[in-house]
Amino acid sequence: MKQFALWLSTTAPSVYIQEHNAWTIPAIQSIHIVGIALVMGSVLMIDLRILGWAWVDQTLRQTTNRFGPWLTGSLCLLLVTGILMVIGEPVRELVTLSFWLKMALVAVGALVATIFQRALRRHDERWGDTLPHSHSVKILAIATFLVWVCVIVLGRLIAYDHVWGAWSPSERQ
Amino acid sequence: MDITATLEWLQSTSLAVYIRDSLYAFPLIESTHVIGLTLVFGTIAIVDLRLLGIASSERSFQRLASDTMKWTWAAFALTAVTGVLMFITNASGYFHNGYFRTKLVLLVLAAINVLVFELTAGRSVKQWGEASSAPPLGRALAAVSLVLWLAIIVSGRMIGFTTTRAVLSEPLPAETTLEDLLGLPSDGSQAQPAPESK
Repeated sequence: MKQFALWLSTTAPSVYIQEHNAWTIPAIQSIHIVGIALVMGSVLMIDLRILGWAWVDQTLRQTTNRFGPWLTGSLCLLLVTGILMVIGEPVRELVTLSFWLKMALVAVGALVATIFQRALRRHDERWGDTLPHSHSVKILAIATFLVWVCVIVLGRLIAYDHVWGAWSPSERQ
Repeated sequence: MDITATLEWLQSTSLAVYIRDSLYAFPLIESTHVIGLTLVFGTIAIVDLRLLGIASSERSFQRLASDTMKWTWAAFALTAVTGVLMFITNASGYFHNGYFRTKLVLLVLAAINVLVFELTAGRSVKQWGEASSAPPLGRALAAVSLVLWLAIIVSGRMIGFTTTRAVLSEPLPAETTLEDLLGLPSDGSQAQPAPESK
């Protein structure tokens, strides 16, 4: 991975980002933060609807119709800016434990969101109305929110990978 | 007590020393700050986009605001507390940082924006709360709010690139530029290795 990261850092797009790093890196990171903010807002509202704490005058389907596209769009924005950050600073990103743990959790979060939205679309409106009464769905809602919280923490820890001690690949060299 | 002494006292408190010396405290406090700010921006965006008539325009504004704003305030409290905790670890460093000062000014402007909204468009909410968007002034304030919060996020991120966790023995000279701090030539023409970004 270190070899790949070093190679990536010599490619033209990477060199461009590095040469203009005074503005490229903060700009990309700021857009990335805006993206995760939109994800957090959307996930919070869908989960609050499932828990029956907000948006109760709307059906679950109405709530996911409102926030689902924003969630998907923000995740795409995060993917694009995330890839740009990896291209711009390959070693800083790829040679860390935090990054790979984060990617695993992002996969879990995105998978749960996709399965959930598909299930809602496949079943009829009534299913969406009875769904929030199910205990396991409520637990799943809290769990997905916590997954995104952990994604944020791990994202920030990429800059502090030393917290993992010997587990961090950057500490081993 | 003058400001320099206050700042130095703040960063010498046992709490500040503890956070500074701990391997985990600062990263975890900073992560919590990011969790808080994403919830602040995420929920404010829902309200502002509703005012602008871009999203949720079929839903009553009052209902949407009461579902959303309490989470904004809770998240803001979390962000403020973690912000103060980060500040005291290097009070004089942050105090003299241009991006930190910019961010504080922007936060004050965002607060004034909320106040103006409450005193103007907020007063007549019963008349337009069911309409698909707020009256022109309400829409303008919502747009200003979005711009301010985006600028707050950018300036907040810039603080991380222009300060260190180490306490500076004396404030940076006023003419210090971002290029100096990042170790770049001031004309920015020459390629340099990526700085140790935070």
